[in-house]
Amino acid sequence: MCKKWLFISMLSLLTFSLLLLTGCAPAKNQGSAAEAAHRKDELVLAIGYEPEDGFDPTTGWGRYGSPLFQSTLLKRGNNLEIVDDLATGYEVSDDGLVWTVHLRDDVKFSDGQPLTAEDVVYTYETASKSGSVLDLGVMKRAEATDPYTVKFTLHHPQSTFVNVLAATGIVPKHAHGEDYAKKPIGSGPYKLVQWDVGQQLIVEANPEYYGPKSTFTKLTFLFLNEDAAFAAAKAGEVDMAFVLPTVARQEVPGMHLVAVDSVDNRGILFPTVGSGGTTKDGAPIGNDVTADIAIRKAINLAVDRQKLVDGILEGFGTPAYSVADGMPWWNPDTVMEDGDVEGARKILEEAGWKDTDGDGILEKGSLKAEFTLIYPADDETRQSLAIAVADMLKPLGINMKVEGKSWDDIEHMMHANAVLFGWGSYDPLEMYNLYSSKTAGVGWYNTGFYANPAVDEYMEKALAATSEEEALGYWKKAQWDGKTGFSAKGDAPWAWLVNRQHLYLVRDGLDIGKPKIQPHGHGWPITDNIVEWSWKE
Amino acid sequence: MNRRQKTLISTLLAALLLTGVIACGLLLGDERITTNLEARNASPSLAHPFGTDWLGRDMFVRTVKGLTVSMGVGVTAAAASTAVALTLGMLAATLGKAVDAAVSWLIDLFLGVPHLVALILISFALGGGMKGVVAGIALTHWPSLARVIRAEVMQLRSAEFVQISRRLGKSRWWVASRHMLPHLIPQLFIGFVLLFPHAILHEASISFLGFGLPPHQPAIGIILSESMRYLTTGMWWLAFFPGLSLLVIVRAFDVLGDNLRMLADPHRAHQ
Repeated sequence: MCKKWLFISMLSLLTFSLLLLTGCAPAKNQGSAAEAAHRKDELVLAIGYEPEDGFDPTTGWGRYGSPLFQSTLLKRGNNLEIVDDLATGYEVSDDGLVWTVHLRDDVKFSDGQPLTAEDVVYTYETASKSGSVLDLGVMKRAEATDPYTVKFTLHHPQSTFVNVLAATGIVPKHAHGEDYAKKPIGSGPYKLVQWDVGQQLIVEANPEYYGPKSTFTKLTFLFLNEDAAFAAAKAGEVDMAFVLPTVARQEVPGMHLVAVDSVDNRGILFPTVGSGGTTKDGAPIGNDVTADIAIRKAINLAVDRQKLVDGILEGFGTPAYSVADGMPWWNPDTVMEDGDVEGARKILEEAGWKDTDGDGILEKGSLKAEFTLIYPADDETRQSLAIAVADMLKPLGINMKVEGKSWDDIEHMMHANAVLFGWGSYDPLEMYNLYSSKTAGVGWYNTGFYANPAVDEYMEKALAATSEEEALGYWKKAQWDGKTGFSAKGDAPWAWLVNRQHLYLVRDGLDIGKPKIQPHGHGWPITDNIVEWSWKE
Repeated sequence: MNRRQKTLISTLLAALLLTGVIACGLLLGDERITTNLEARNASPSLAHPFGTDWLGRDMFVRTVKGLTVSMGVGVTAAAASTAVALTLGMLAATLGKAVDAAVSWLIDLFLGVPHLVALILISFALGGGMKGVVAGIALTHWPSLARVIRAEVMQLRSAEFVQISRRLGKSRWWVASRHMLPHLIPQLFIGFVLLFPHAILHEASISFLGFGLPPHQPAIGIILSESMRYLTTGMWWLAFFPGLSLLVIVRAFDVLGDNLRMLADPHRAHQ
């Protein structure tokens, strides 16, 4: 009896698998036809990495804007200007301490509940307590003065608070629980249908969304790395894929390449103080060689940035001269002629660096022009940049040793060694954090312990400014005011190298509008203007 | 030409190749692998027999240097492994039943765990890098040799000259160093040479997997794993030549080891 059952089940299994096998072949051929049928309002995208912490804005999701499921009070327009989103307007008190934001009264979350000032207050209070990457330390309290007005009170004036308003997605107070990060509910253009961790994310258009409706009712995000995304694009399985510069020049039938400018930059941070100190955790601080401004200026001058762009980014990028190239607060005066080895040599000579023992490396007294540049070992682009820059500096007589490390190791070494970092944000506060003496040694910020009172003063003034124009003026002066600044023309605590372009293979016929200059973080920010995407006929 | 002569010649050739590669690796300066962004991704030519990589570095020099690094790792790791095997094998065979049982158990344990897994664990625990790789290989490759040595010592223990020395009241240490060790040298040497290709291959594989040497060091495993990314772009020379060289080197060591064993084996001497 038992045997018979086994036999029957085996047989049925066999037939079934045969059916499957034969069924597979024609299905593949029909793929494109089926695709054509449903492709009108659905997209399959392989454009970014999976956010490990989920989709909760109060713990950092969408900190570069465009949270997809949620919407923000303000947002950045196509020219990166601040425009209203959930807000209908905002006022700042004369002392810069009180920000009053008026909300739209017609907004509903995807579960049908209205979005009110209570939700906004809840979001900001929660986020400030969560101690995440979102820095709300400046906020004293948030309160709802009426159902559609929120009043934020700050500890001290901070003009960049506007960026917090543009980067924090609003969560519903009534539905924000333990598993919110996995099942977000918001007022954004899309709502989550299914998230298979490690594989894919399926979202559907949010019927309650108050903004312009997207052409696409369903999006599937596949979480692939760049290589797999490229393979998927070649196989015609995705409508859009993010790719590395190394493969971007290859023709993929049915797809075209879109290169989007970004402030996703790469640069070398130098410790600007002499060695000897240690941080609270016992990590060494300072480096005697890079503490010499002549070394830093010479490196900035000698590096041929265009060569790096062409050679390592395959031309998909731009030379970087500051942390915020192209942003409204960027000072265009910081751009300089580079690749000038002779000029760099002169700077070093004037500062007293000479090759006294004939080994090809400069000396100054007992100091040798030698230091280590560390980079995250798993990042191929940074490795290539590090090696190429080190080789560019050799003819100068500066011996920059290159070492790949894990982020944990870098965290311990970054105060005493040059580091190949990447930054780039829509918030000038990042600039403040990188260059202010107040943030020296705080987290990943200003690990070189750079300090310049003039720069500090400009940046404090920029923070205290009550209008954006006023703030922008001070931000620019902090970079270079004609005499001093934190750019390469001034104290040169960094040698910025390149801005990457973010590269996407896009199916022919799919119009992704005009993406803004992208921030750090390849992928999610591209969905920012997703309501503008459509099929061209 | 008889077989012994043939063996001798192939041994010499293999040894010559290996010393040649090491000499090249040590003599060629670092300036030969500086980046040259104007000559990137060049296919093999007279100026660059193995082509150049995406930073314009000459692949021939990188390969030779990589092989030298790999061989350096191989020598140190194999030597350390042999030392471990010798110590444990001798201890097991001379210090009595309890120690023998413990060592045998240890050997079985290490043989039971897949090489690569143990290797990755040890190397990772020691923080990767040269130190981690050498320690990892040294600590995982000794068991089979230790077993051979243990058996050999057991056999020697019952030999007449050992028995006589014992009766004459010589210490264990005296017997071990004067009688046993000289007898073990051929086994040790051949064991060492045979461990060598193993060590190189494992160094290459864990560096390939990213648990080994740091990525800017020109080791073969790293060169191979880097080249993986460029295979889809049609740059076959990045993987082909270094891979082939690794194969040739490993094979050369194999030949060397096998031949030495044959030459050292008295039963085969008459062939």
